[in-house]
Amino acid sequence: MKIVCMVKIVPDVDKFEYDFESNTVVRDNVRMILNPDDASGVGFALKVKSMKPDTIVEVVTMAPESVEPLLLDLARVGVDRVTYISDPIFSGSDSYATSKILAKYLETTSYDCILTGTHAIDGDTSHVPAQLGELLDLCQMSNVIKIDEDALDESKVVFTVDNDTSVSTYEMKLPGILSIQKESNYKLPYIKYEDINKDVNDQINIISNDDLAFEKGKVGLEGSLTKVNRTFVKEYKKRNKVVVGNDEQGIETVYSFLKDKGFV
Amino acid sequence: MKKSLIFIDNDNHKNSIDLLEVVRQIYVDDGCETYGICINHDSLMANNVFDKLIQVIDPDIFQNDPMIVTDIMEEVHKKYDFDAILIPATNFGRMLAPRLSMRLHVGLVADVTAIGYKDDVLEMVRPAFSGKIMAGIVQQGIGPTMMSIRQNVFSYEEKMSKTTEVIRYHPLKKRKSGLKLLDMNPKVQSYDIRNSEVLISGGGGTVKNFQKLEMLADVLCGQISASRMIIDKGIAPRNIQVGQSGKTVTPKLYIALGINGAIQHIEGLKNVEYIISVNINKNAPICFLSDLVVEGDAFEFIDKLSMKIKNEQIVTNKLKKVEPRR
Repeated sequence: MKIVCMVKIVPDVDKFEYDFESNTVVRDNVRMILNPDDASGVGFALKVKSMKPDTIVEVVTMAPESVEPLLLDLARVGVDRVTYISDPIFSGSDSYATSKILAKYLETTSYDCILTGTHAIDGDTSHVPAQLGELLDLCQMSNVIKIDEDALDESKVVFTVDNDTSVSTYEMKLPGILSIQKESNYKLPYIKYEDINKDVNDQINIISNDDLAFEKGKVGLEGSLTKVNRTFVKEYKKRNKVVVGNDEQGIETVYSFLKDKGFV
Repeated sequence: MKKSLIFIDNDNHKNSIDLLEVVRQIYVDDGCETYGICINHDSLMANNVFDKLIQVIDPDIFQNDPMIVTDIMEEVHKKYDFDAILIPATNFGRMLAPRLSMRLHVGLVADVTAIGYKDDVLEMVRPAFSGKIMAGIVQQGIGPTMMSIRQNVFSYEEKMSKTTEVIRYHPLKKRKSGLKLLDMNPKVQSYDIRNSEVLISGGGGTVKNFQKLEMLADVLCGQISASRMIIDKGIAPRNIQVGQSGKTVTPKLYIALGINGAIQHIEGLKNVEYIISVNINKNAPICFLSDLVVEGDAFEFIDKLSMKIKNEQIVTNKLKKVEPRR
């Protein structure tokens, strides 16, 4: 069977710091990483491949060329093919345009199951997985925390979804799209020592608009249906910040405060 | 008159109905006819607050399949031609909204937390980069205003009762779902932190003994919540997580124990009346937002404050006992 994993390279936003003195977000020295939920998807696909070696795993991403080293490493951990879609005409695409680009490529390749992440730590709109489902006319489910690898075949998949109020198990006809959460604990394997510098160029598949043939204005900034008008840092209302020690006097202050406000 | 449609998610009726506040803010003076839609469930809460309630009841429809629900929403939109379609950003809403927007070829803004007008254009504000930066987004192209809206951010206060017209709708298109529900287990949840008045919340500084928070929660009749670090370490379940990737909470009192206060956490605090933080670093971000900061160890604080509250209670009770009867 063939599994396609959609991934996104994102800035490691946990490393962003907010400076309350200057009301700015400090983004210095933030590196790019594979989005954690997406990494779980690739981790699961490689797990299936290790159990059933005839499984083919392809990773697909849209990214600028600068992230290539991260993609080469995916080929080094056992992904059969890494496709990256890159063209200046695509830059500035919103989720709507991005989904159209990715779907157009997916129409040219074969798949039984498409895996994506549920959340991306940068934009986190979760639009693309569902929109790919719409464009490819496939069922799509998010918040997947477990896939039954034994029950997986070309015709169906059994999986568990963590919802707001319940945990449910579903069976879905394939082809279809499952969006995994990192809580699934499927992990991307480490590169074996001997493979650290392995030449994987023949596994890399670069796709540009020469292949996809979008008309100008249909993708990128112009082809988008939403536009970022402005970005800003939210200012938080600072409070009194009366500092006390963790001693008798401090506890007395806290107690009086609570009593004064009616909490004790 | 303008028309708006709100998807009522069976998982959270209140938050769905609260989206009427978003409608109110979009069409401030012009007014708007409000429609709600329930698919294979009923909503008593929606009665008397919407102008019209579209009710779809059909055992052949699998309401958990976003593809099927998209079919119905598309049909309903074609019939009524809405000016705005609003969907709560529940897990289901987050699957439905993008699918529907693609079907209608309409720009969608996700997880909206505020709206406003800039130069007469509706701007929808949403957090990006885990809530560290806010983005004001505008729609381009034609079609209805569409957004998914973060839960527990807007609340609808209008108390005027309306006579809701119920429309029974029978979808024409009937597609067979590729999805089959095999098993469902409701989550056992003794409380919902979104309804708590007093929250005792733990972060990285409480990893060693998170359970100890119960001691303080007991004496203050509060509930326990946590920052993402506690959840990521598997110490507490995700349903008590406060923050951008967790829940937005609105307690009267929030005691932050050993919480650093990354923006992603602070984004989950809304209209909190009082914040007390306990931290070994009095310059941790959360401290700037606090009324009172206790510099020190969280566990020591729990011991001392719980003891103090109990002792005071004993004294008060004794005083009550010796008071002469009248």
